Amino acid sequence: MRILSKIAYKLSAASVISGQSVSWLTLLMVLLLSINVLSSWLFNYSSILLSESITWMHSANFLLAAGYTLNRNEQVRVDIFYSKMSFRAKARVDFLGTLLLLMPLSIFIIWSSWSYVLLSWRIGEVSAEAGGLPATYLLKSLLIIMPVLLLMEALGQLTTSLQHWQKNTSGPDKKLPLSKSEQSANDNSQEQP
Amino acid sequence: MEWLAIAMFVCVCLVLLSGYPVAFSLAGTALLFAALGVALDIIHPVLLKTSFSRLFGIMQNQTLLAVPLFIFMGVMLEKAKIAERLLSGMASLFSNKPGGLAISVVLVGALLAASTGIVGATVVTMGLISLPVMLRSGYSPALSTGVICASGTLGQIIPPSIVLVLLGDVIASANRDAGINADPVSVGDLFAGAMLPGVMLVVFYLIYILLITRLKPEQAPAIKQTQTESKLDWASLLLPLLLIVLVLGSILAGVATPSEAAALGALGAILLAIYSKEFNLKRLSSVVHSTTKTSSMVFMILIGASIFSLVFRAFGGDEMIRTGLSNLPGGVFAAMLVVMLSMFLLGFILDFIEIVFVIVPLTAPALLAMGVDPIWLGVMIAVNLQTSFLTPPFGFALFYLRGVAPRDVSTTAIYRGVLPFIAIQLLMLALLAVWPQLVTWLPNVIYG
Repeated sequence: MRILSKIAYKLSAASVISGQSVSWLTLLMVLLLSINVLSSWLFNYSSILLSESITWMHSANFLLAAGYTLNRNEQVRVDIFYSKMSFRAKARVDFLGTLLLLMPLSIFIIWSSWSYVLLSWRIGEVSAEAGGLPATYLLKSLLIIMPVLLLMEALGQLTTSLQHWQKNTSGPDKKLPLSKSEQSANDNSQEQP
Repeated sequence: MEWLAIAMFVCVCLVLLSGYPVAFSLAGTALLFAALGVALDIIHPVLLKTSFSRLFGIMQNQTLLAVPLFIFMGVMLEKAKIAERLLSGMASLFSNKPGGLAISVVLVGALLAASTGIVGATVVTMGLISLPVMLRSGYSPALSTGVICASGTLGQIIPPSIVLVLLGDVIASANRDAGINADPVSVGDLFAGAMLPGVMLVVFYLIYILLITRLKPEQAPAIKQTQTESKLDWASLLLPLLLIVLVLGSILAGVATPSEAAALGALGAILLAIYSKEFNLKRLSSVVHSTTKTSSMVFMILIGASIFSLVFRAFGGDEMIRTGLSNLPGGVFAAMLVVMLSMFLLGFILDFIEIVFVIVPLTAPALLAMGVDPIWLGVMIAVNLQTSFLTPPFGFALFYLRGVAPRDVSTTAIYRGVLPFIAIQLLMLALLAVWPQLVTWLPNVIYG
């Protein structure tokens, strides 16, 4: 069990690192698109290659950061009730949600994308635009990599939420004040007006 | 078969209320129902595979490329404390007049529109910076909190806000689906349409504050300028203004697409940060990370909503809503009223982004097919949701402000404070309903 949870954390960490590295693409997008606009204003020249590569960066950015965003708890929740739940109840929601919603979704995206991506690789698909980027199959492959990263993060979430869930059921010792303080911290910030 | 669509919608609402992230709740629940549909032989599995082209379409959507770029610009302005300086600069400009602090909050809320649009950010920023100053200066808690909540939501309706970009994209594709209005709609159209109503709201807010200073001067006193901060830094006031005007102007003038303008705006924000000596690698790193997380959050909801609507459509839910709306006694007016009321109520639990991605694609095509003007519809939705976020007891803005307001500001004070602003919002909705020209006039002038 301990080995399994160690592996889960490693996988989750990998998905976080992937998200953090693609974050810098946003800066690159800002700079490249600015250059492209300015050059089209000044020299009446803009590059299709450049503008397509910005679209690629954008896709890579939000897709490969999905697990990272989940890890940092920045995937938006409807928190009217959630913010008031106990530590354990939150863990239960996260555990069941990961198992019944997130993991099937990730597997579904892999299943539905698989044949299209495979086909794209086989025919060596290129951009439909003249002067566009070659290797559209790489872009399409993102729709396989994204759910894989999400699954990696999901395993981490499962492990963490399961531990949090069990913590309070098994031992009402020193862990209880922790959950209480967690709860009151939440009450401070999210109290219903 | 339609009953499955209804059951699915109800289930999604319940799952959302559990608090699991919206993006995965939407798609996950829809997939459980899709599995049921396949088992009952209602849905063919091949239909579900078309989700690939939907997701790939989201990746290639050129309009939505503007979203991360606008977020970058806003986060940069916020983290480099440029927004904060704008607020204190404004305050020192107006604070020696009665109601001056409240006026500066409204104006900054309107100007910061560019940098937010995600509900909460402005309310929290202004709540943290302005509320203590206002309370210390003797402003009534109700007026202070009301002004901050209302001004915080202005960011949604005044272009160039991120939610207007999202809404513009959804309305544009709904318009294509409806196939009635031949003219395609763009995000620029929606920006132009939202301009006049946005400015009118600001003016109404200001009139209300000026009225208060006449009727109840003790609620909004002038402040004697004794602090050292009264020395006005014109650059910190004018440069962000210039940046926002340039970004918006270049879109409206048609010289740049929203994405291009957003990229230049983000570059401008970086330059402003360097100019203000607030730029360093650590801050840049925090800007790119926070931009990425927000962008990923928005697009994952879009992906979730897209899979949800694929399944909803497979169960015939679209058709059901379309016939339901067009068969209402009372025609277009009744249909519009029903949609607006449901969005208002859903605004209590769902954020702007979710409503735009889930509810608008379901209802807008029917309304557009009945002859509703797409730009007017977009602006009505935006003002309506803005009102919803202000309305007790569930309004988002109230939650956010409660979170940062001092304990001794009572919740009832906040409620009392926003009531006049809700009245202003409702007045605005009524004006827009009676005179749609308020929305359609400017786009017609600009784009012909």
